Amino acid sequence: MMYKIDLVVIGGGPAGLMAANTAAEAGAEVLLLERDGHLGGQLVKQTHKFFGSEKQHASVRGIDISTMLGDRLDSFGDRATVWKNATAIGFYEDGVITVDHDGVYKKVKPKRVVVATGASEKFLSFPNNDLPGIYGAGAVQTMMNVYGIRPGHRVLMIGAGNIGLIVSYQLMQAGVSVAAIVEGLPKIGGYAVHAGKVRRAGVPILTSHTILRADGQESVERATIARIDRTWNAIPETERTIECDVICISVGLTPLAELLWQAGCEMRYIPALGGSVPLRNDCLETTVKGVYVAGDVTGIEEASAAMVEGHLAGLEAAASLGFKSDSYDAERKDCMEQLTALRSGPTAEKIRTGLACTACL
Amino acid sequence: MNVPKSASIVIIGGGVSGCAIAWNLANRGIKDIVLLEKDTLANGSTGRCGAGIRMQWAAEKNCRLAQYSVEFFENGNEILGYERDIEFEQSGYLIVAANEKEAEQFKKNVKLQNSLGIPSVYLTPEEAREIVPLLDTSQFVAATFCQKDGHLNPFHTTDAYAMAAERLGVKKFKHTEVIGIEVKNGRIESVETTRGRIATNIVVNAAGGWSKAIGAMAGVDIPTYVQRHQILVTEPLEPVFSPMVMGFSYNIYIQQVPHGSIIMGRSDNTEPLDFRTTSGWKFVEEMTKTCSKLLPALRTANVLRQWAGHYCMTEDAQPIYGPAPGLEGMYLACGFSGHGFMLAPATAQLVSEMILGEPLTIDVSDLDVGRFERRELVFEHSVV
Repeated sequence: MMYKIDLVVIGGGPAGLMAANTAAEAGAEVLLLERDGHLGGQLVKQTHKFFGSEKQHASVRGIDISTMLGDRLDSFGDRATVWKNATAIGFYEDGVITVDHDGVYKKVKPKRVVVATGASEKFLSFPNNDLPGIYGAGAVQTMMNVYGIRPGHRVLMIGAGNIGLIVSYQLMQAGVSVAAIVEGLPKIGGYAVHAGKVRRAGVPILTSHTILRADGQESVERATIARIDRTWNAIPETERTIECDVICISVGLTPLAELLWQAGCEMRYIPALGGSVPLRNDCLETTVKGVYVAGDVTGIEEASAAMVEGHLAGLEAAASLGFKSDSYDAERKDCMEQLTALRSGPTAEKIRTGLACTACL
Repeated sequence: MNVPKSASIVIIGGGVSGCAIAWNLANRGIKDIVLLEKDTLANGSTGRCGAGIRMQWAAEKNCRLAQYSVEFFENGNEILGYERDIEFEQSGYLIVAANEKEAEQFKKNVKLQNSLGIPSVYLTPEEAREIVPLLDTSQFVAATFCQKDGHLNPFHTTDAYAMAAERLGVKKFKHTEVIGIEVKNGRIESVETTRGRIATNIVVNAAGGWSKAIGAMAGVDIPTYVQRHQILVTEPLEPVFSPMVMGFSYNIYIQQVPHGSIIMGRSDNTEPLDFRTTSGWKFVEEMTKTCSKLLPALRTANVLRQWAGHYCMTEDAQPIYGPAPGLEGMYLACGFSGHGFMLAPATAQLVSEMILGEPLTIDVSDLDVGRFERRELVFEHSVV
């Protein structure tokens, strides 16, 4: 059986939820596919309050934003369908998307698609990096904040970007001690406000350091770290051992773009955006007509930008089907302004440089 | 880097056939050979094929071509001086007969194969299941098996040929596309490429799917066409079977590769006749149905990915070997219809002999391009 629908949104995180809401609001029939058993994506585990302006839900915790957007989608009744435990497993040449929905194979042929699949965590190569107790930082955050599981007693965090800093703080809130935060770059990548919090709690942030190896019998017992020079080579005799039962890897994210590759979208490798990303026009439509993108799959940013992109992609996908409300022009202008604002300032310079390479048409 | 101003022989196509022909000619002492590839080596059908090597054919000629090639591959690393490994694993081919009619044909095939020295055997379903325990014996009536068949790494094999050829002086140009062929008085004068012109009187057209377009540049009609073929690969599983399992009426070939993944493919005459290498969902549905019927335990295996390549087809699904009629200097090695990779050593040997006017190791004079006009087609039924 082939399900037919106006719009399929793949991914129920911040970008996908906004895209589905916006398109349903405009009048399109929407099907949202979420791989997990619940909506929200990374929002669910973001127990901290958001920054930014009121439009981007400042001062609201990520998990509450997720509930809000899910409830709003419910309010559209039959116009918005959500499949949870639904993994999009293929995106084919004829526009058919195959789905594993609760173990049942289904086929959907939508008129438009918004791909909002997000990103996955990068990993590091070092001896014994497959010992139990070595996790991605996002995985640790999920264990703690979604499932209420304490990952261990003493954590070594690798990476002082925002995720590394926030997860370190949340680990301490959960009663887990953080031995140190190791950062390869000579300076901290995350916001000063996050770094300040963990420093005040007594956690050393060791810049220009890396992990050399992990050791342990059944699981992680200790890690060896060292200072590195400008060419990222370990400096002899700076090695030291840190006792820990968890090593948390937080060295960045990479877009989850497999479906876009399979759909035939033109991709470009842009290191500043975390990997291979789709080329797109100012409506967030890729080089494959009718396929839109939003959120981290377009390049690694953060949840606020993902929500605005989701809004824009949902708006444009619906408009291209004739669902264009009176507020279309105002909403589009507002999205553009919000994205410009979110991407202004010195910390977003890398993102601006990367985005300059993604335009098509 | 520009191409040389002249060459004794220009070989068009950096798949396994082109590279093997280049090596074979250079190994006979021919100098100034140029090999042209518009992309990277093995980027076309070679690098996308199922990588099976078999001698179990219904037509004597195909048996002989395959037998010659298997003997070469058995010593391939040594002959080509390859420091890596072409990874020829003679883990066998097990071919199932879905009905009595097919079983009768298989008996004849085995008799022919044995008479040529190919050690194939005819098996009952129970005997077949001893080799591949996952087989549902109620789904077939007989099988044949040849332990000396197997599989081979297409990338390493092409690399081995190309490196050996280069050591013998062949000049290889990747990312160099042929854009024209100059003909004067019925004779090839030169080849125009994106990196310059090469004066030559001999061109080998081993361009696979693009062989028709290359022929057209010299005003020759080569009756080949392309058709997409797809393959899927599962997650890695515990090693459960090592031979390639094949069924002609079942329309399947399936094999567990050394790292545990299972790859499988089939033919479908509704597949597009163009160069697209995108994937289709119908293929996955049909493929998994057949696989689940014949090897029921694989029902629960997860499909990891799919890929596609194309067969360079002829009307009788047999290769075209020999000179292009009405044009002096073009030799054809194309139209392999899905079995060009496994025949590469024989192809190289025969095409070299044709160019040098030597007696043919295996008589393939009836596989010339003229057979289509003469309506003397050579059919081989044992194909997927």
